[in-house]
Amino acid sequence: MTDTSTTSEKGPQPILRARNVGKSFGGVHALRDVSIDVYAGEVHAIVGENGAGKSTFGKILGGAIPADSGSFELDGRTVTICNPIDAQQLGITIIFQELDLFPNLSVAENIAIRNLAYSDRLLVNRKRMAEFCLPMLKRVGLDVDPGTMLGDLHLGHQQLVAIARALSMNARVIVFDESTSSLSDEFVENLFQVIDLLRSEGIACIFISHKMEELFRISDRVTVLRDGEYVGSRPASELPQDELIGMMVGRKVSEQTRAESHAAGEVLFECTGLRTRRLHDISFTLHRGEVMGLAGLIGAGRGELGKALFGLTRIVGGQMSLESRPYLPRSPRHAIELGVGLVPRDRKTEGLMMQMSVRDNTTLASLSDLNALGLIRQREESTVVERVGTQTRLRASGAHAEVSSLSGGNQQKVLLGRWLLVEPKVYFFDDPTRGVDIGAKHDIYDLIEQQAARGKGVLFVSSELPELLRCCDRILVLNQGKQVALLQSDATSAEEILRYATSQASQAVAS
Amino acid sequence: MKSFVLRNRTLIQSSAGLLVIFVAAILLSPTDLRTDEVLFLKADNLTNMLRVSAPVAIIALGMTLVILTGGIDLSVGSTLAFCSVVAALGLSEWNLGIFAAILLAILAGGAVGLLNGSLIAWLKVQPFVITLASMIGVRGLTRWLSNNQNIQLRTAGEVAVRFFEFFSQKTVMIGLFVLLAAVFALLLSGTVFGRYVRALGDNAKASVYAGLPIKRVQIAVYTLTGLLAGLAGVLTCARTTTGNPNDGIAAELDVIAVVVIGGTSLAGGRGSIVGTVIGALIIAILVNILGLRNVGANEQLMLKAVIIVVAVVMQHQRTSS
Ligand SMILES: Nc1ncnc2c1ncn2[C@@H]1O[C@H](COP(=O)(O)OP(=O)(O)OP(=O)(O)O)[C@@H](O)[C@H]1O
Ligand SMILES: [Mg+2]
Repeated sequence: MTDTSTTSEKGPQPILRARNVGKSFGGVHALRDVSIDVYAGEVHAIVGENGAGKSTFGKILGGAIPADSGSFELDGRTVTICNPIDAQQLGITIIFQELDLFPNLSVAENIAIRNLAYSDRLLVNRKRMAEFCLPMLKRVGLDVDPGTMLGDLHLGHQQLVAIARALSMNARVIVFDESTSSLSDEFVENLFQVIDLLRSEGIACIFISHKMEELFRISDRVTVLRDGEYVGSRPASELPQDELIGMMVGRKVSEQTRAESHAAGEVLFECTGLRTRRLHDISFTLHRGEVMGLAGLIGAGRGELGKALFGLTRIVGGQMSLESRPYLPRSPRHAIELGVGLVPRDRKTEGLMMQMSVRDNTTLASLSDLNALGLIRQREESTVVERVGTQTRLRASGAHAEVSSLSGGNQQKVLLGRWLLVEPKVYFFDDPTRGVDIGAKHDIYDLIEQQAARGKGVLFVSSELPELLRCCDRILVLNQGKQVALLQSDATSAEEILRYATSQASQAVAS
Repeated sequence: MKSFVLRNRTLIQSSAGLLVIFVAAILLSPTDLRTDEVLFLKADNLTNMLRVSAPVAIIALGMTLVILTGGIDLSVGSTLAFCSVVAALGLSEWNLGIFAAILLAILAGGAVGLLNGSLIAWLKVQPFVITLASMIGVRGLTRWLSNNQNIQLRTAGEVAVRFFEFFSQKTVMIGLFVLLAAVFALLLSGTVFGRYVRALGDNAKASVYAGLPIKRVQIAVYTLTGLLAGLAGVLTCARTTTGNPNDGIAAELDVIAVVVIGGTSLAGGRGSIVGTVIGALIIAILVNILGLRNVGANEQLMLKAVIIVVAVVMQHQRTSS
């Protein structure tokens, strides 16, 4: 189980050793006997399927939850981590995916607050606080006024503030839990530059991500967890991608391409000259069985297009039609009635009811088919939930499990399941594979393809271009609210899409 | 089994609280000097205790739904008085029959709720603000309607007497509460509406994205609560044989306390009717035993405050663990 072979490679002593860490929630073993060594100045990736225990490991290191068993050594000394303060004193910080910063406080306050290195005096001294923060902001390359309200910053910059805070606490080990999953490419690159810098300063970075390219780009060593157990650690350079995937999944994932296009001749949905406050003149047709990708940078208007289709934003001009009837949704409820479904991007705030069960969340939008006189037909509901769970390969302790107890990827599957049950004619998937493991990603591709094969129209937003190229018939590229290209996915390339997505002069290209 | 315990931790905790307070009541209760009977356990005392607390407990059923959606209804105390006065006026001055008077009173409560719900749903103003306004406004309406005079039923003729004799019976008051509790428990756990109520309180934005009929749900929970406050007004009118325009002052706070002690979170999304029933019993026993021991009303208030804080702190520890 434990690995000792790597100790000799990287100098004599790891900065942090986790020994036989175990943690279970109720009956679920989230971690079992996991031992990991982390060295100074390395980027150590932890990978594994959804629910493998990566976040749990990170949270234990950060003191957010206590381990049930196991021990930790820092610089060879045995230490205990029971709460976030312990972790902070030991120099371990975790950058959560959902940042635990305060959007209504200034950058400086966010860095100084609850910071043991910044001793509070009775009165807040803005100047002293700013002086305290500036060197850290400089180190992460963030050039903002410390008095800026955090919420006014771009998410990518907020993340840098979180890192600056970690640095100000003299962090020696920083855990990044899926930090890149909500960032667009330019911010990811920015983050990687900061991580490179931290590495050169001798800080150990633990990097959790589902994106293979990123892992190989940034990490020195990779540790694989599977079902809460340690599978192995390897230098990233000696680990071919398919072998890594094999270690994660325990079986071979066939990276097969799409079988065939299901696009038929018949037009299902049409959009002519659509304008909203942030969209200018969008025109396209979506055929039955067609999967159309939507590419673009963050803020290019992909999400806005979803909102327009789903009755969440005011339409200023242009027309839409569904099955050759005019389509003008007043609200999401109306849109669903007319046959359009949107799987929202942010599962926590726009998607799931976190305190409700897997069952309740799955059937929430289709209860109108599952009741008699307002009473829910419980048995039928259970079978439906069971069926959808199998279809999405959901891993949960049961239909009664609270959604908040599921791992990120499995939460995403519950959300997808909800919309599969609704059976709209047109689907709008807004980045459905965010935070989803590699096996599950392919499950989602298959689900999308199945829907297309059944004659549905699919609009598919993704920030991962290979994913769009794999799944889509055509790709619509948006740039600053304008439509700049409509490309056949078998006749284009990631480079071309990127060129359109980033080009400044946006000349419309006809389809 | 284990997951059952986990899922119902709040309920198990409140039941334990109920048990503790019940045992404490027995231990603290004075005994009959001659027969050595525990006064608290006498059937007469227990049923009377339930009867007295029925109106607040009945409103608490609706309030549970309101709070589950993430809202609050401060107007129920005023609505109770309003409907009590309407019932009394109907029976004494307007010469309505018993059935018509009751119906009118309950519908009047429903109308207040409908107004609350509609304003909240359409104007998107915080429920606290809207129902605070209607708490004030309805109280004014009630006093205006009654000239700020108590309306006595004892002297208001035969129909009025038949009304209060029937509705002040313990079996009627307690029976109505039990029936309504069962209906609301089913409504919350077994119906589409109940699911929507919880979903809305859990995550309002996601409820929009899921296409739930949010406005209808909001209007419905406030209307139901108004109807229940109307019924509570009718029962109070019968029990006191009076339509008192100053009844139910601060009753909304008692109602909210019952719901909160029953484990329903003011943040919305989490709670149950069974919990509210337990909460109502806890408060009822507390008030009863303090009365039996001749503890003054002011001290009672202070003790109630302690119970509320203890209950909520226990829940808080549960959710943060
Ligand atoms: N608070 C909790 N209550 C119950 N079970 C939990 C809780 N937190 C995590 N789990 C369970 O522990 C296991 C590991 O979860 P964890 O979040 O660590 O997975 P992960 O590797 O981060 O997955 P993902 O890639 O989807 O984020 C999962 O089976 C999850 O359901
Ligand atoms: Mg995770």
